[in-house]
Amino acid sequence: MAVETAPLPQIKGVKEVPYEELFVSGHRTCQGCESALVMRHMVKASGPRTIILGSTGCMYVANTTYYTTPWVVPWMHTQLGAAGSAALGTAAGLKVLMRKGKIKDEKINVIAFCGDGGGADMGIGAISATLTHKEYNCLVLLYDNESYANTDIQVSSQSPWGAVTTFSPTGSKHRIMHTRWKKNMPGMMAAGHPESRYIAAGCAAYAVDLMNKIRRALELGGPTFVHTLDPCPKGWDYHPQYSQELGHLAVECGIWPLYEVVDGVVNLTGPTRQIAEGRKKRKPVIEYLKRQGRFAHFAPEDVEHFQAEVDKQWTEWLIPGVIPFTIPQKDTRILNIDKKKPLHAEAVA
Amino acid sequence: MSQTVTAPTTTDITIEVVYRGIFQKTLAQRICRSVVLAARRRGSPGTAFARYGDSPERNGVPAKQFAVVAADDTQLEASMARYEPSVTDVTVAVDDTLVKGVESWAWYGRQPIWKTTKPDGFVIVTSDKTPDEIVAQTDTAVRPYTLAVVPGAASFAGLWVYKDDHTDWRVLGALAKVAPDWIRLEDVRALVQEQTKDPNAVASVQYGFDATVLRPVAVGEGTSGHEVLQFEKPGWTTMRPGIVVDARKPGERNPFYKKYGARTMRPVVNFDTCIKCTMCWLDCPDECFEVTPTGHYEVVYEACIGCGICAQVCPVKDCIVMVDELKFDPDLDANKTVWPQWQADRGTYNKWFEAKSGVSAAPKSAKAAASSGAAATGGED
Repeated sequence: MAVETAPLPQIKGVKEVPYEELFVSGHRTCQGCESALVMRHMVKASGPRTIILGSTGCMYVANTTYYTTPWVVPWMHTQLGAAGSAALGTAAGLKVLMRKGKIKDEKINVIAFCGDGGGADMGIGAISATLTHKEYNCLVLLYDNESYANTDIQVSSQSPWGAVTTFSPTGSKHRIMHTRWKKNMPGMMAAGHPESRYIAAGCAAYAVDLMNKIRRALELGGPTFVHTLDPCPKGWDYHPQYSQELGHLAVECGIWPLYEVVDGVVNLTGPTRQIAEGRKKRKPVIEYLKRQGRFAHFAPEDVEHFQAEVDKQWTEWLIPGVIPFTIPQKDTRILNIDKKKPLHAEAVA
Repeated sequence: MSQTVTAPTTTDITIEVVYRGIFQKTLAQRICRSVVLAARRRGSPGTAFARYGDSPERNGVPAKQFAVVAADDTQLEASMARYEPSVTDVTVAVDDTLVKGVESWAWYGRQPIWKTTKPDGFVIVTSDKTPDEIVAQTDTAVRPYTLAVVPGAASFAGLWVYKDDHTDWRVLGALAKVAPDWIRLEDVRALVQEQTKDPNAVASVQYGFDATVLRPVAVGEGTSGHEVLQFEKPGWTTMRPGIVVDARKPGERNPFYKKYGARTMRPVVNFDTCIKCTMCWLDCPDECFEVTPTGHYEVVYEACIGCGICAQVCPVKDCIVMVDELKFDPDLDANKTVWPQWQADRGTYNKWFEAKSGVSAAPKSAKAAASSGAAATGGED
């Protein structure tokens, strides 16, 4: 099919979302799989001139098993942990083929996706390396369902504190078996790769916001990174119909801030911006926790701890939800940071 | 009923439990394990295992676990020398919508619920429907079997929190009824008493034994309305270099894996109250909505896995209603699109909608629609 490369303008509302489906039905994902929705929105946003590379994980195994595929665009499997390398290699390959005149010189989007296990655990080194190669255009999308969901919910560095997983079952002696806080992946990528022009954190429950982030990443070019939080009915243990609601709650409770870092400037988006500007009250985390079976064992003090950690994210971090460290009070003048500015003035609901 | 039937087998018995992936994983494990433990009380060795091809399980996608019990260790080993039992003495379906066919995760196509049940074997179904209603939804029988209906709605739970509603104990009671040579009621009762220390659980075993209704199914009974979904599997010689797979064509859906087999609830749409907000279409992870010439969104039922997200995100009350899949006749309400019917004759369509959903098709007051709409779409930017 001959398709002209189209620019990717920002989508103004749901009515402007393209109808064309490039990730169709007929995959083996769970009922209510939010990661499948991320895949669908990702290619909807990027359009038909896109090459998708998928590292091992739910979105590889569930989508392309037994000689069938739901992908309309070219897709290739790559090893667990190799999303960054595959993205970079494909982008470099396309570039050299175009330079040599072997293929038409046009814009082809290269997107490599990985799960939280394949991206935040195993693949982090390759993604990090990719984000430093600023001469190649590729996007790494990390779909984060907070566990190794494909192989039945083993703990990953993105699993939230206290959650029950196959590796951290609650017991009568030790109630909380997963005692590590979730790694701040998008913040780390943004802080560590100043030459990457675009790093974002999104959620498919905010579909237009997510599609615009994908488009901006592809439009700005260079190596870029988008991290999405995907509610997972299987591993989080809730009824599949509540996938969207849990995505909304993760953002509204301040657990998963939505933002983008464009050329080194942080821009909070969606309800995260409303919360930060004080236009919206941050919901208590219990609203989010109580809807999931993986937190069913939480005692009141566990909820308090979770709330305190999330509060810290908003009141003590240098940039709320993005940069976790801060500076001593005496240095605020040196760095020209006013702690009374709106970003820090937010009151807990 | 005090009637008991002897399972016609002498050396071993194979029981399969067909269940909804993840939702009923723990339930299936408990049933299979208890079968083995109960048989052990009478000196028969046994083993319980899950089908490898069903792992990793997906929410709602049918999966199988097995319990094999034999007269002695040699017989057990002989019966275990296979990847997956192709013939079973008893098939247990712990969700009644599975009788519409079992389309597993792996490439089995859609199989009748009695696929592995041996001639004159048993199909046990947990359901609050009558045996006749169940038979009307199963594929036309090619071998005689006996349907056993254990009273009770499908027991669903999550991966981490199991709610014991005694479905496991009732099913064990039913198994003691249909296979008393292998699973004796007194063994099951003693096992459950020992494991739960709960007299109510033992009572549930007895209730399952007493209240299970048996209905012989003759060859030719059932429906031929279900889709035949079988595929030529490529062998290693027919695979192309690099294991290249043809991409889907634009506008096409994957014909090799239709998701309706995982569905327990079907969304029905009231097009008269639809405000064309796009939310169902936008938020569907399975891309199963199609925009119609009138700008409405209709469900392509073949592609719908029945997750219920559309009904949840719909801002209009009762515009999309999730309905028990067994309320749909295999012939009359097959996976056909329904929007053309609404377009042709709204009155008839709305009557159908009301009959299925149990709610009124009349448009609600604009105020009620707006207030529920604000709550549901509050998060969208």
